[in-house]
Amino acid sequence: MWRFARRTVYGILIVATVSVFTFVLLSAAPGNFFDELRLNPQISPETVKALAIQYGLDRPLPVRYEHWIMSAARGEFGYSLSYRCAVGSLLWWRARNTLLLAGLATLLAWAIAVPWGVLEALHRGGWVDRVGGIATTILITIPEVLIALLLLLFAARTGWFPTGGMAAANSASGASLKGFWDLAVHLTLPVAALVAGLTPVLVRHVRTAMVAALNSPFVDAARGHGIPKWRLVYRHAFPVAANALISFLGFSIGALLSMSLLVEIVLSWPGLGPLVLEAILARDVHVVMAVVMLSSVFLVTGNLLADTLLYCSDPRIRAIA
Amino acid sequence: MAADCKSEAMATPPILEVRGLTLSYATRRLFGAPRATVVALQDISLELYEGQTLALVGPSGSGKSSLARCLVRLEQPRSGQIFYQGRNVLEMNRKTLKSTRREIQLIFQDSASALNSLLTIEQILAEPLVIHKVCPNSSEMAVRVRQLMDQVGLPQKWLSRRPLELSGGQRQRAAIARSLALRPKVLLLDEALSSLDLSTQGQIGNLLLDLRARHSMAYLWITHDLRFASLVADQVAVMDGGRIVRRVSHSELFTPTQQLGPGTLLSPSGSGETGDVSLVSLDK
Repeated sequence: MWRFARRTVYGILIVATVSVFTFVLLSAAPGNFFDELRLNPQISPETVKALAIQYGLDRPLPVRYEHWIMSAARGEFGYSLSYRCAVGSLLWWRARNTLLLAGLATLLAWAIAVPWGVLEALHRGGWVDRVGGIATTILITIPEVLIALLLLLFAARTGWFPTGGMAAANSASGASLKGFWDLAVHLTLPVAALVAGLTPVLVRHVRTAMVAALNSPFVDAARGHGIPKWRLVYRHAFPVAANALISFLGFSIGALLSMSLLVEIVLSWPGLGPLVLEAILARDVHVVMAVVMLSSVFLVTGNLLADTLLYCSDPRIRAIA
Repeated sequence: MAADCKSEAMATPPILEVRGLTLSYATRRLFGAPRATVVALQDISLELYEGQTLALVGPSGSGKSSLARCLVRLEQPRSGQIFYQGRNVLEMNRKTLKSTRREIQLIFQDSASALNSLLTIEQILAEPLVIHKVCPNSSEMAVRVRQLMDQVGLPQKWLSRRPLELSGGQRQRAAIARSLALRPKVLLLDEALSSLDLSTQGQIGNLLLDLRARHSMAYLWITHDLRFASLVADQVAVMDGGRIVRRVSHSELFTPTQQLGPGTLLSPSGSGETGDVSLVSLDK
């Protein structure tokens, strides 16, 4: 319990530090949201200056940071100058969409990668391993954005899948079966793009961890006792290999928000990807800040979850603790 | 006494017999093209009788462990035959092999890595019993596991401990207890005592000799310590370069001209073609 509490406190400190650095770096970047207005001859420099003062851009950095912190505590995460509303209201439904997409893709990728990696490890050096190795190498070398573009082309040419959005214009509500089907159809391509990008990396990790476990002398000893192959895998080798995989699972949970940004932009998924891209281009600082903070929270939570899972699954860690 | 037992045992067919065993490993280049073949065992033949201890000595890399791994089919030899009670181990189907593995047990040198560190000693000892359905119910299994702990001199309260919570000697005792769980007829001890201190070596050595006397077990004792081999073995086979280059009986080991000091080890003698293996005494 103390271990968990200590880790949580460390996590909060990390998030706080990230917030300070991000705020300082974003403020130090040249230019601001109102710089584009200065290029417009119809708007006087006085008006631009007045707007900057109105939104508090003339105040010292610590004061602006304090305001942002207070706003974050209220769940607003600052004010979006582009959308003219609190960032929180923009963020939550987009974050939910991103989480739906990235979470589903991560779940599917792990569900495919674990048996695939175990199978490759069990047949290491054999044709299953070689064919699997070639397939993962090909998938790893193709950039995610290219996979997304190819899928977009496929959808446009065949018409089998929608080319963007998360619901058809005439769709029923999400709660009905028809609404659920509509959502599933819209999710297919973005999820496929993410799974194609994530699975080969996971397969490599699973295979490596399982090969190391299967080559351990205790597995040889167990084989020598006549323990059947599948019991060797699930009772002896996999629990040992799971340590490395749990650590990687923590990392992949941490990367949930950032992993899908590119795919969301290419396949027009209404998640955080398009929002953060627009915010960066428009220098809408508080939106960028909020997305970075959300990513940071996910990274810390993912690692905390991995730590807890390791603690529960590995008695050696409990003994050390 | 040992000689009597030996001659008595040799009147019966060998419990384990190896004929012309050859094992090689092929190393491959990056894209699978064969690079070289490493011959680990060449034309090995030996017999092991019930109640007999055959010591297999030789320098590192001479193929002793590879032979032990072949005998329990952890390695698949290129050619040759292994007979256990007259049946060829290399031609056994999965079911027969499982029952044979119950009777031939291998104890590894490094007990720390040979025991699954995630399991408790109780789970480790119970695992072979579960697999081979030795005990009809869990209460009998618990009794059997406790008996095994007593047999190797480990306190029962350590059943809930994990291997890394025990010392090297205690772990080795646990490994021996696991091997004894199935009441094997042949025990292959691959440098099983070499990582232990002298006093623990003595304790476990005596325990194993006692078990052999009580249950007529046959031991193939792999070691590189000739002096130790001379203490425990009825017969010594010397391996070098993947071949058995010399065999000596217990009485030959104790000829007055061949005094072996403590820690007498075998040094590599090259190819092993000539059959010469030099003795190197650490006392020098």
